[in-house]
This record gives sequence, structure tokens and C-alpha cells, in this order.
Amino acid sequence: MGIHRRDFLKGVGLSSAVLSMPGMLGAFEGKLKGSQKFVKSICEMCSTRCPIEARVDENNRVFIQGNIYSKATEGGICARGGSGVSQLVDPKRLVKPLMRVGQRGEGKFKEVSWDEAYEYISVKLKEIKEKHGAKSVAFASKTGPDQTFMNQFAYGFGTPNIFDHGNTCPSGYATALTSVYGSGSLSRDFADCKFMLNFGHNVYEGMVISYARGVTKALEKGCRLISLDPRFSVLSSKADEWIPIRPGSDAAFMMAFIHTLIFEELYDKKFVQKYTVGFEKLKESIKDYTPERMAKECDVSAEKIISLTRECASYAPHCMIDFGHRATFTPEEIEFRRAIAIANALLGNIETKGGLYFPKGAALYNKIAGQKVAPIIKGSILPKVPEPNEPRIDGVDIKGGEFSKIPKTRGIYSKVYETILNEKPYAIHGLWITRSNPVMTVSNSDEVVKALKKLDLFVCVDVYMSDSAQYADIILPESTYLERDEHFLSDDGKNPGYQVRQKVVEPIGDTRASWRIYKELAQKMGFGDLFPYKDIEDFRMQQAYEYPEEIYELKSKGLTSYGIPLLARDKESIAKFVEKYPNSKQFLDEDGEFSEILKCKTKSGKIELFDEVLEQACGRGALKYNDPKLKGDSQFYFIQGKVAVHTNGHTANVPWLNDLMDNNAVWINQNVANKLGLKKGDSIKIKSEVGEQIAQVLPTVGIREDTLFAYFGFGHTSKWQEISYGKGMNASHLLKNIISPVSGNNVHTIGVDIEKI
Amino acid sequence: MMKYAMVFNSQKCIGCQSCSIACRSENKVPEGLYRLQVKIQGPKGVFPNLAFDYERFSCQMCENTPCVSVCPTHASFMDENGIVDIDANKCVGCLYCISACPYHARFLNPQTKVPDKCNFCKDTHLKLHGEPACVSVCPTDALVFGDLDNMNDPIYEILSKKNFTRKKEHLGTKPKLFTIPNKKGEIKL
Repeated sequence: MGIHRRDFLKGVGLSSAVLSMPGMLGAFEGKLKGSQKFVKSICEMCSTRCPIEARVDENNRVFIQGNIYSKATEGGICARGGSGVSQLVDPKRLVKPLMRVGQRGEGKFKEVSWDEAYEYISVKLKEIKEKHGAKSVAFASKTGPDQTFMNQFAYGFGTPNIFDHGNTCPSGYATALTSVYGSGSLSRDFADCKFMLNFGHNVYEGMVISYARGVTKALEKGCRLISLDPRFSVLSSKADEWIPIRPGSDAAFMMAFIHTLIFEELYDKKFVQKYTVGFEKLKESIKDYTPERMAKECDVSAEKIISLTRECASYAPHCMIDFGHRATFTPEEIEFRRAIAIANALLGNIETKGGLYFPKGAALYNKIAGQKVAPIIKGSILPKVPEPNEPRIDGVDIKGGEFSKIPKTRGIYSKVYETILNEKPYAIHGLWITRSNPVMTVSNSDEVVKALKKLDLFVCVDVYMSDSAQYADIILPESTYLERDEHFLSDDGKNPGYQVRQKVVEPIGDTRASWRIYKELAQKMGFGDLFPYKDIEDFRMQQAYEYPEEIYELKSKGLTSYGIPLLARDKESIAKFVEKYPNSKQFLDEDGEFSEILKCKTKSGKIELFDEVLEQACGRGALKYNDPKLKGDSQFYFIQGKVAVHTNGHTANVPWLNDLMDNNAVWINQNVANKLGLKKGDSIKIKSEVGEQIAQVLPTVGIREDTLFAYFGFGHTSKWQEISYGKGMNASHLLKNIISPVSGNNVHTIGVDIEKI
Repeated sequence: MMKYAMVFNSQKCIGCQSCSIACRSENKVPEGLYRLQVKIQGPKGVFPNLAFDYERFSCQMCENTPCVSVCPTHASFMDENGIVDIDANKCVGCLYCISACPYHARFLNPQTKVPDKCNFCKDTHLKLHGEPACVSVCPTDALVFGDLDNMNDPIYEILSKKNFTRKKEHLGTKPKLFTIPNKKGEIKL
């Protein structure tokens, strides 16, 4: 590039505070070089990867909207997605590699060249490897395409310890689905659902456009939606009924739900017999969990549980119990999410309209169709590096073990910080994180900071000087998603497809994309042969050179979709599929279903209502209700949730989004507030076993009397991010770093005391 | 000639602010100011039977326009398609229009020193892509834009079938921003 950031700086309107901070963009007022036509791409303001299109106009404005070719989003986009440009030109964005000078955490950095940064990192990495072994360096990334390169680098370097953000977010449902269906990635047919039970999966605030559209379409068509949530969310406001369930007791509700399904014989007997194993053991394990008994636990009446179960079953198989997204409410998360996964199977709503379905990749789809419908584009062209022959720190690699449902590319992220401090099973001396902000997202933030300060080497790849990056030795500025091309990704739904991220503007400043960073550093360290591509275009060509027409279509439309939607147990869908692909008839079973698609990657090959692997590993093969005792009698449950205008710990400093919301008042029931003499805006101190936070209160009728709620993503500690610094509270300072069994999740509910200040 | 109008379906609105950001992005609205805001009001009701209200605040595109009638220089005007707009070249900065608007839909743009407000993206998204930016990005299709003079326009059908309200109707301003009121637990056509 050869463009220095100062080329973009204009003296006018620039505060000295901005200038004194090295490595940041300052007030960008230069000309953006980019396409005036809409470029089709993929958003990265959260992890969802919604299809977008963006352009620069003659007035140097960037405009981002949804990709109209997407059947799932139809051009829709959320506020975060629309604000990508605000991040792109944010004065507080990092645009030069930074090296720490002074003590760790002191906040003194100097700009260095990429070569200097690489040199420093490679010397330190080699030093640690010689002294302590490669396994003592951990690598962690937010879920996304960057992982391909980071994980390759980590394995090439020789450590087995790679992680993503799973255990602070979706591990709960993914492990539960893996236990029951052998795959953590089942899809939900929201749009065609006729009855939906939702446990705090607030699709209208934890925005995923396709989910929000799907639920809205279902509601338009008359779907019954029941929201069980301790606080009144936007989703609850659109639901037919809001049931303020007791925090952490959702598992109790589900046990009674399954009890009713089984003992009132409301379940789909044929489906259970044909596609599942372990029914008798399930029946045995659930027999004592009567609605009457469970009602006391979850604070929902037995009559209500029974009537909802009957109603739900009456809509089967076009009903759904939503397995949620961000966990974890309690240490018993696996029991709760697995109960949901099992209940769906009992209802027989798998591969049906309005139920759950397996995403259909090109290989499987082509096989069933009996002809080549979709191109098979390689996921990665990188040579496979054998997994380093060392045990991981989190036990995820123990075959048949308690945590074996968690993928090895995911791991139990929060274990890293615990391990740095207690050095068990062995010490971690180096840490590499990319687009990860553990100080915000991992429970017990104070311990996380302590851990970060103890490291011999801490490398951070980010677009911001985040709460975590401020403790780094080296910070590498990554190009934002609007400035970088990426490889082709599969995007499978009811039929196979692909999508691609393409740059809209040339990179501003001296930033680089991940595919380049890891390749260059590997070259420096002597294993560049593990990254056999010249640039990302070369990578793409190696992925798909057999399909020039598809490449062209993919790049011009941003996404492709092949064939027609297929639900393996929906008569109408099957008829259409067979008509289009007559060779597929050979795969129809005696019931006229494509049972091949329901073959699971579980031990038995079937849907497992009792998990023999977990039974062996930790005695959790059956469903069991353990009251998790999340708080003391006089305490409040502290719960949290997502807001539509921010993404977790990442966006509080994006100017447009900060302008919409820069603080998170804590919801408290109006009656309780009256008793305590608390008015809107009053400050309280919230104390838990591990920490305390000061927060403003928002008295409201929309929450249970025993519960406090706050949106997360606030209470930032990085002074470099001026507009978000110190505003609001961060629950991670209150949470204990507890790992829930099996799912390995960080638990996100805790008992707290409050006092007015 | 058109008679542009917009339906805001508050049953489908989720208050996600994507419209507001699209507006800011497309129309270069200065930070901290808004041509368009959506507010989530509430919850109201008796626990646990509660509701939120979702309300859009923007220019109502009145047919009887207080802002136009007070403007001494005809800088505030209604164009041939019914869009209430501002001609910056004619504006003398008296700010009468800002105080005359009963919907508080106008603000002084500190960069241009001219009153600013929603004009259905007349010079931007509407011109380039046939609809306002807020309409094109709305994740739940809570916004419908169309021509009231065209009986084949989908907006015509919606307004003939659904109950709708207009803000401060008693003032006789005849807004062309129609709101479909929110009903608890019901998004039904």
C-alpha cells in the first residue's frame, strides 16, 4: 500500500488527545477508494455473517444494506450492520502495529512496522517453545473465517490449544444438539412454524436477520408464540403470552413438558420408533418429574405446563421448542438444552415444515438427488497439519470424555485464563487472540486481567484497542471486513449454497487481513509451506477452479444457492424434489421419506434420547433435574441479555452505535424499587461473591421481583475507547468463572446483593 | 406525479434501529441528530400482561403543511410527488419551520446551517434505488412505501384492509405517514 495514516489526517477538528495516541486513525477525512457499484459481501459487525451489499458514492459516503439476492434476509440489515462504515472510519480504530513500551497494562505503546512486529513475535514464540514447549501457547478467535488461518498457524507452530468464543456463547445448545443429533448445527424453520416455545432466545434483540424475519413471518401467518423469560423482552412483547419463569429453572419446565408428552402419550410414536434410540431409558429417567413437582421449581403452574404441552403437541410436527442461542443460564445448561433437543425429537418435528432440519451440504444433496446439482467447493485448501500430539488444557480432546461433544476447534475458552493462573494441567505462557475481548466476555474479569498480566507473550489482533488489547505486548491491526477479501464459504440451508466476503473499499492505513498476517508470520518462522497460496484470489481459485461459472456468479451475487429446498419428511417438499430429480426415488424409504438424511453422527447412528457416551464419561446419560441454587434467599438473580444495537463486547465504541446506546441501566421490578426507595437513574452497588459494579437502575413492571437484568457489552475499561469508557456496568465482573458440565459453558447467572448509593 | 406515502406497521416493528442507522448513513445526518427515530415505549399493563409500544418519529409528510405555510422564502415546499422538502438555497435560517412543525420533525443541521428532516431519501436512496433507505433495510418489513395515487400499489391495499392511525389528526395536517397500531401478541394480517 505504502500509504501512511498521516496522509489521511487533517489538522482541522482533530483533538490533541487523538493525535497523542499512536497507531489510531484520527479523524479520517480522506477519500475512500472503493466501488461506486454495490459490492456483494458479508457483514462482520457480529458473528452471524448476514449477506450485505455496500458501495461508496461520489460524495465519499459508504452505504451498506442487505443483499437482496438472499432468500433469508431479502435485503434486511440491522443497525449494527448498517454502522459498518462508522467503524471503518472511526478515529479510534487501529491502523498501525503497536508494540508495548513500559509495564504491561500501563498503556504505553509505540508504532512499529509489520516486520518489526513479526520479528518480535517470532523470537518470543520460539523462545517460549524452547523453554516450555509449543503447547504452552494458546490461540483464540471469535468464530469466523479467520479461524482457518489462525488454527493452521497454531497447529503448524505445534500447540493443540486452539479456542473460539463458544463457551461464552453458543456451546450450550451446540453440545446438546451434538449429544442428541450428532451435529451441533441444526437449523430452525421459523417461518413455517405454527407453535413456538421460546426460552429467552430473543431473536428481536440478539439480532440475526433471518431469524427475525422468520419469526415475523410465522407470526403473520398466525403462529402461537410463548415466551418464557424472567424479563419482558421485545420478543415477549410480540408473543401471545409472556411467562416470567424463574431464572435458571427452565430445565424444570422442560422435564415436566417431556413427562407430559410421554405419560399422556402425546409424542410421535412412529418417529420415536423409527429414528431414535433410548426411549425406555428416557421414560425411566423422567418419570418422577411430574408437572406438579416441577411447577414449584420453575414458578409456572402445573396446569399451564400441561396445557402448553398439549397445545404444542397438537401442532406437531409443525411446532418447535427453540433451542436458543447464547447460554448459559445455569450450571445445568446441558440438561436444559438437551431436554429441548429431546422434546423436539419426541414431537417428531425433525425435517418438517416449521420444525428443525439438517443443513444440506452439496455432497449429501447431490447424492440424494442422484445427480450433480451443486458444485463441491473445497472449504479450505490448506494442507492438513496433524493435531499436535500433546494433551489440551481443557480435556476436550479426551475421547469419550465429558467434554468430547465440544469440537476441538472450539474448546473451553475460559479455561485458558484459569490455566494461566493455576498452571494446571500445565502452564500457559503465551496467548494469541484475534477479535476476542475476554476482559469483557469471560466471567470474573478481574481474574482475566490478572492472567493477562502474567503472560510472557500476549499478542492481540483487533480493530480496536479493546479492554483486553490494552494489556498486549503486540497489537496487530486487522483490516475491517469492508476492506478485505476472503475465501469462499459454504452456506447450506434446506439446499446447498455458498457465500463470499468481498472488499468494498481499499484498506485505510497500514492494516492487513488474516490470510496475510498468518501466512507472513509462518514464513518468518519457517513453516510458510503450510500456507500454499499467493493471495486470497489464489486461495479461491484453488478452492473452486473446476467451476468458473459458479465463481463468477458467486462473486457477482455474493451468494449462490443450488437446487430446491428439501425437507426429508415433508410430503410436499419430497414430491417436488422427486419430480425435479427422478433419480432420488431410490433413496425414498417405505414411508416415502428420505431417512438417509436423518442418519446421525451419534454412536448409534440414530437420534439418541439417552447418551451412552455421557453416561460412561460422567453419569449424565439420562435427563436429570438438579436444582442449581443460583442465589441466596435474600439475593436477586442477576441475568443478562443482548441488545439489538450492540454486539457483545465489540461495538460500544462504534460512534453511531454508541450514540444510540452508551449505557445499560439495570432493570429492577417497580414494586421492589418502590420498597427500596429507588427511582429511575439512581445508582446502586451490585455485589456478588467475586466482584462489584456500580449501576443506574431502571424500575419497570417488565421483570420478576427476584431478578435484576442488564444488557451486556457495557462497562468498558479501555481508556483508549473514550466514548464507551466507564459507561454502564459489566456483569462479567460479578460472575464466577464456573464451567458447566458437558457443555463447558461459562455460567451467566449469579446471586447478587444490592445497596443504594 | 406521485403521492408518496409510508406505512409504519408498529405490530411488526421491533425497535431495532436499523432504519435510523440507514437514514444516517444514506443522508449524512450529523452524529447525535436524527431525521428518523424509533422509540420503544413501556412496558405498560399489569404484570405479566404487558406490552411495548413502538413509535416512529420523523417527518409526517403532511398534506396541509404548517412548515411550508410559515416559510417566508418558500424554501420549505411540497414537491410534485407530495414530498415536503427544503430548498437550501432559498433558506434564510429563520427557523420558523422548525417551531411550526407540530411533530418536532425538523432540526437545525449544524454543518449546513439549514433545517433538516426526512424527505423520503428523495435525493439519495429513493432517487437511486426506488425507495427510502429505511424501507429497504427493515428486517421485519415493518415499513411500506408507495404511491397513494396508484390503486395497484401495495400500500393502497394495505391501507384499505388495515386499521391505521395518523399522529395529531385533530390538527388537520393530513399526514401521509400511517401507523398500524400495535396490539399485544398479535402480528396478524
